Amino acid sequence: MPLLEIKDLTLEFRTDSGTVRAVEGLSLAIDAGETVCLVGESGCGKSATALSIARLLPSPPANYLSGEVFLNGRDVLRMSKAELRAIRGGVVSYVFQEPGASLNPVFRVGSQIKESLKLHRPETATNDEVIRLLKLVGIPAPESRRRDYPHQMSGGMLQRIMIAMAIASHPKLLIADEPTTALDVTIQAQIIELLRELKQRLDMSILLITHNIGIVSDIADRVFVMYAGQIVESAPAIEMLKRPLHPYTQALMASVPKLGAGAQRLTAIPGAVPNPSALPGGCRFHPRCFKAQSDCSVSAPELREAESNRLVRCPYWNSNPKSEIRNPKSPSEPAPSSKP
Amino acid sequence: MSLLQVQNLKVHFPVQHGVFGRAHAFVKAVDDVSFAVEANETVGLVGESGCGKTTLGRACLRLLEPTSGRIDFEGEEITGLNGAKLRLLRRKFQMVFQDPCGSLDPRMTIEQIIGEALDIHKLADNAGARQRRIEGLLQAAGLNAGHAPRYPHEFSGGQRQRIGIARALAVEPELIVCDEPVSALDVSVQAQIINLLQDLQHERGMAYLFIAHDLAVVEHIARRVLVMYLGKVVEIGEAKAVVRSPRHPYTQALISAVPVVDPDAKRPRIILPGDVPSPINPPGGCPFHPRCPIAETRCRTEVPLLREAAPGHWAACHLAR
Repeated sequence: MPLLEIKDLTLEFRTDSGTVRAVEGLSLAIDAGETVCLVGESGCGKSATALSIARLLPSPPANYLSGEVFLNGRDVLRMSKAELRAIRGGVVSYVFQEPGASLNPVFRVGSQIKESLKLHRPETATNDEVIRLLKLVGIPAPESRRRDYPHQMSGGMLQRIMIAMAIASHPKLLIADEPTTALDVTIQAQIIELLRELKQRLDMSILLITHNIGIVSDIADRVFVMYAGQIVESAPAIEMLKRPLHPYTQALMASVPKLGAGAQRLTAIPGAVPNPSALPGGCRFHPRCFKAQSDCSVSAPELREAESNRLVRCPYWNSNPKSEIRNPKSPSEPAPSSKP
Repeated sequence: MSLLQVQNLKVHFPVQHGVFGRAHAFVKAVDDVSFAVEANETVGLVGESGCGKTTLGRACLRLLEPTSGRIDFEGEEITGLNGAKLRLLRRKFQMVFQDPCGSLDPRMTIEQIIGEALDIHKLADNAGARQRRIEGLLQAAGLNAGHAPRYPHEFSGGQRQRIGIARALAVEPELIVCDEPVSALDVSVQAQIINLLQDLQHERGMAYLFIAHDLAVVEHIARRVLVMYLGKVVEIGEAKAVVRSPRHPYTQALISAVPVVDPDAKRPRIILPGDVPSPINPPGGCPFHPRCPIAETRCRTEVPLLREAAPGHWAACHLAR
């Protein structure tokens, strides 16, 4: 039995201008000890999915239309408040994008880590344990740094504090939602290395949410690629990076500037990510797709097994493209939607 | 004669304390930087947050007052210029900002935003010419005339950046400082904007000073690259040479830290310990020595100067070869 199994999750947000379907028919599983990456551009629903795992989205506005989220065999979406409190931090912990915004500015970092211990492992809520955790996440001079306030630390150090808080409760699953996006590349490399090391040492699973497909090869066992609220491709990480099957994954990988490629022209994806309240009919990627056929705008494709262990939401993944990945001189974007 | 020539530029910000605001320390955001940008050239400026790259970009355009040093634009010293003379010159250099949302006035339509630049510099004789010009600029930036009466909030991030570019182009500048123009955008859109900037340079022949923290992006657009660390330039060279054979250990670490998509192209990774030190109290000697994997004793005391390690390729490191 997988540690986490999301089955057919559909999630809407009620807004003043109508309902927005953020996630549709999403299924995803993570085994114990596995690292899974959920990749997608802004607004594709990856954070909404991550927050649903411990039901952290307030409803309303969030509204779960269908689906189950099994964590350790129990459905999170049907848990009582007391049960939720026990799994939040206990079974699943989060590390968010902005460490500065996630920590309380008026408490010392050590006492914030201790708070996490008090809740989940009260017998170990000591300064010694705090120092041990700080050492584990690589904070130099932990005896004195535990008395720092968040503003006295750099972004990379704060992210280490966040990770210390998250692992304090010995979670089974660590969800890192864009943990390195706000950080510089050299610090990003430190944090990814730290997550990899901790996973080995503490025997937990990691769900890493990122828009940076480059991180995938550093850490992931399996990848799920999301576009406009749906999973469009899922595959073992190395296989997907070597041979992406869905046209979106292919185009996304082609648009990443490669170091050492020289002044070669970049391959952009024409257009922009669609507005979730006005999704295109049929396949959601078809207006930007270089393989699009006439029926792509009519029938919505299913997520199907393309090869063993690989799912693709595109009936034409195996066909030859009508054109190569397009590279228009001045890509035209669709007219902006006027918001009321 | 270079289009932009910067010599020994320093920008120091005082750190004030107490009632009378006496400066007791300085943030040396830009410390003794010299470089040049030729006409129709793209120079990349790379570094991590807090290294002074934005300050340098702004000081080059006199948007910030340099503490000392000299800036020449088309052979004319602009460090001492003021008032009307400076305003006249401002037509020749423009800026594209990182946050396409924060740099557009939410209460102005796109037409007003672009038209304002034309009005200030009196570049359109009558209303018809002004409108034609605005439409032409929107088209050049990959938008269309129908977008002119709309407001910034109606556009996506990529489109807003296109508006920022159209505004910069309005005065037909010779130099555009692009301050992290793509770091707030999704990758698929980032590539569109980089290609647009390259096409525009091809058509109109202006020069770019392209500031970014992503070395891969800079390599794609720039001919030459400057790498900054703690207010100092640590390496200058042809983009290709800097990426393929970096001389400074900081550049080497920066390149190895860029995530690679291709699992077969894995490079050995240099993970730098610690953080960028505070620019108020930078380490003595080489500013990089506390994090440097190859630092020696003299790195702690002697400040390394830029030395030519290969033709046209300079590095500020005692040990660079």
